[in-house]
Amino acid sequence: MDWNSWLPVFIVLSSLLPGLLIFSLAEHRFALRTTLNLGGVVVKLLLVAWMWQGVKAGEDYYFELPFLPGGAFILHGDALSLQFVLLSSVLWLVTTLYAIGYLEGSPLRSRFFGYFSLCVSATVGLALSGNLISFVLFYELLTLATFPLVVHRGTVESLRAGRRYLAYTISGGVVLMLGAALLHSLTGSPVFMPGGYLSPLLAEHSGLLMLAFVLLITGLGVKAALLPLHGWLPEAMVAPAPVSALLHAVAVVKAGAFGIVRVVYDVFGVDVMQQLDLTWPLVLLASATILYGSWRALQQQDLKRRLAYSTVSQVSYVTLGVAMLGPVAAVGGLVHLVHQGVMKITLFFCAGNFAETLGIHKIRELNGVGRRMPLSSIAFTLGACGMIGLPATAGMISKWYLASGALEAGYPLVLLVLLTSSALNAMYFLPVIFRIWCLPAGDWPAPKQLSRRFETHWMLLLPPVITAVLIVLMGLLAGTDLSPLSWSKLIVEREFSYD
Amino acid sequence: MSFALAAVLLPLLAAVLALCWRSEAARLVWLSTLFSLLLALAALWQVVTFGPVSMQLGGWQTGLAIRWHLNELSALLLLMTALIHSLVASYSFSQWRDAGLSADFWPLSALLQAALSSLFLSVDLFNWYVTLELLGLAAVALVLLSGKKALQAAMRYLLLSLAGSLCYLLGVALLYGHYGWLDVPQLAVAISEEPVDHRLALWLITAGLMLKAALWPLHVWLPAAHAAAPAPVSALLSALVVKGPLFMLYMIWGQLAGPELAVTGSWLFLLTGSMALVVGGWSALRTPYAKVMVAYSTVAQLGYGLLALGLMLHLTDPAFTQALFLFVLAHALAKTSTFLAVGEMQLRLGGKRLSTYRGASQTMPLAMFAVAVAGGSLIGLPPSGGFVAKWHLLLPLWQHSQLWWLLPVILAGTLLSAAYIFRLVVLAFNRAKPVSPDFAPVLLPQWLALLPALLVWMLAFASGSLLSWLGG
Repeated sequence: MDWNSWLPVFIVLSSLLPGLLIFSLAEHRFALRTTLNLGGVVVKLLLVAWMWQGVKAGEDYYFELPFLPGGAFILHGDALSLQFVLLSSVLWLVTTLYAIGYLEGSPLRSRFFGYFSLCVSATVGLALSGNLISFVLFYELLTLATFPLVVHRGTVESLRAGRRYLAYTISGGVVLMLGAALLHSLTGSPVFMPGGYLSPLLAEHSGLLMLAFVLLITGLGVKAALLPLHGWLPEAMVAPAPVSALLHAVAVVKAGAFGIVRVVYDVFGVDVMQQLDLTWPLVLLASATILYGSWRALQQQDLKRRLAYSTVSQVSYVTLGVAMLGPVAAVGGLVHLVHQGVMKITLFFCAGNFAETLGIHKIRELNGVGRRMPLSSIAFTLGACGMIGLPATAGMISKWYLASGALEAGYPLVLLVLLTSSALNAMYFLPVIFRIWCLPAGDWPAPKQLSRRFETHWMLLLPPVITAVLIVLMGLLAGTDLSPLSWSKLIVEREFSYD
Repeated sequence: MSFALAAVLLPLLAAVLALCWRSEAARLVWLSTLFSLLLALAALWQVVTFGPVSMQLGGWQTGLAIRWHLNELSALLLLMTALIHSLVASYSFSQWRDAGLSADFWPLSALLQAALSSLFLSVDLFNWYVTLELLGLAAVALVLLSGKKALQAAMRYLLLSLAGSLCYLLGVALLYGHYGWLDVPQLAVAISEEPVDHRLALWLITAGLMLKAALWPLHVWLPAAHAAAPAPVSALLSALVVKGPLFMLYMIWGQLAGPELAVTGSWLFLLTGSMALVVGGWSALRTPYAKVMVAYSTVAQLGYGLLALGLMLHLTDPAFTQALFLFVLAHALAKTSTFLAVGEMQLRLGGKRLSTYRGASQTMPLAMFAVAVAGGSLIGLPPSGGFVAKWHLLLPLWQHSQLWWLLPVILAGTLLSAAYIFRLVVLAFNRAKPVSPDFAPVLLPQWLALLPALLVWMLAFASGSLLSWLGG
């Protein structure tokens, strides 16, 4: 057996199998469920680490199964897919820890963790998809796996949010599938390749290619929460905190953004994008989403909703970086895929901690939390600073590359967008930080003592502390070999050197 | 051929035995479905290895004899019939005493299987009439198993079914009177040699068959009949019975209509198919009853079959044959699962309305999962069988820009099916209704209801050989 070709399959199975087993467990089998969960995570991380060093050394991991005529089911581990796989695996680890602590004693945990594992399997499968057909397949599975998590609480408003979520994502999925079918009818679905595979069709079918591009971006834009299609995201905030964290930082919105990266670089390719003149509409759309999301975030009084609109804005940085088609901007966009994930998950963990420990949901209730919950508050502050893009955080690296990339690619106006957005970020995060640290303690709605030694349950505290440390490390050690930045540079090197 | 013959005769024998020996009827018929599944597999293997065969029963000359033709397509449909019957029989066998299913179910379902299997093997207008009549009568009797409350629906079904047969018979008589042939290939030769106006005959046959297959707008009897029947019967009716006349439409239009008439006919199928998709989906979304919803979903899904048939005639593209029969297969499996699971939940939770299913993801997670998984195939989510079928319908469409208006229709159909499936799924996730701790439904029937849904998702990865058997 050729281990290299089976490795991507094993990476998907390492969360899928535990997930299926967990479904069958009785509610009270806490120890076994936790072992399965964490065992799956550890196995996955080991496999991913193995693939990581292999891809770095230039190995190829390729698995193929006949599926449709002209479009096999392909799993392919390349540098770009590994960026997303690594992000999801690491964040899956911390989110699993967090979720175990968060849901302690609540009903239906087997169902929750089952779907949770399925969701990660779909995300990782999506990252490893080797062609458009396989990508669409996992994209739809992701919708199905996340829906039960969004409606987990089973209340009226969570069901309403769930219906809305489905309406958006299923429609988006259908549109994406139409686009994929159109491209498939022209050339089949070959494996993703740097530079794309559509240039031979450019002369004859440019109209159809444009149509396909619009369909694909619309389909992906739903999950990536691009401007008119973002409505589901703030609604989906009724889900439990670990779900919001996972949906916003890793699974759903990133799946959309990642798909846009794939379509731009590996389906259409830079040349075709430029010749069809598709670049500037995408840049425009991403810029509009960035500004609109920040503007709406400023108006929210609910902490999680403010974070949700901030996600709408921040995820579009990835689209923006990729759409400008210059190598430096691409590094900025790709590295932000990871940076935004880590920063946003920290913020959601902290928001969850404030809600669980003190019953805080509104921003005005945050007064003086800093002294009661110092570690969570520090983590929150670091995440917020990263979002603003202050020095020594990961966010600053992304913005630096995006800005210099904009100049290099000839979009000076994008600088203005970045500056305005950073200012808006500061405007909606700094007052929160001010309340946390500088105002005297107010009346918290429902304070609870969840732990004798720490400010809250240790399983709720450890994950944001880990990710907050990561934010700083990714900022300070950006120049080293292990940083997401150097991996993004490696991706860009491979994506742009196809001639 | 002998395998195929045995696969038809075995259920017939089982039906007779089950009538004589009522105490063992369930076991007998269940075993016969399993064996006929093996025989159908063997028949398929035979065709794939040795090629198609014809057979004259009773030693008469062509034209009078019962002639059977076994090729890849008919072997596949034979296999589908046997598979669905064995799945439904296993499910019914696991719970028929609890469910209060009458013992008459067993001989009737065996008769249904024999009739449908021989329909798929025939290529002769009169054989088809006989098998169709048998099929219709067995189906009506099965609907009546629900007792008095099904009486009205069953009567309506019976009358319309008879009207359909009459139309069909009239058309056949016209053709026979002029050409003197009943055997379809022979008749096709005769028509091409002497092309008089046979339009009326063809339209009569079509109207009769559309009534029998419940194709829009002649579907009025279906929702009531399928919803009133016991769950295993609904599964058989929706998954299999309506496919018989659809297959005949495909054969008759494909072989007997000349190129000019085919284009005219294709418009009928394209328009009714589009309407079926949209109107059927809309009705499924509006109804407050779970089984009526699933029944309307059958009306809508048959629209895809009509579209594929219409496109095949319109563009004379064999790729649509593949799409048509992939739909038939995928829908059969998915609908079996949906009806069995919905019926099982209706039985244990006790209520016909959709609101009964509130919280079903907690009370009956397996059955609900079956509905969701099968629903995924009805919507056409990858990698299910429904997806592969829809993919083969969509893909050639991009090459024919004059039919662009079908794309929004298919899109609307997909979204409507997603809407009614998820309407049920969202209700199931509602936690408003507390679970009583001693509620512990039996698991085996739920697993058996889930099985066809899992099979339809695996169908996608077998689609390579399916496509080659369906010709391309």
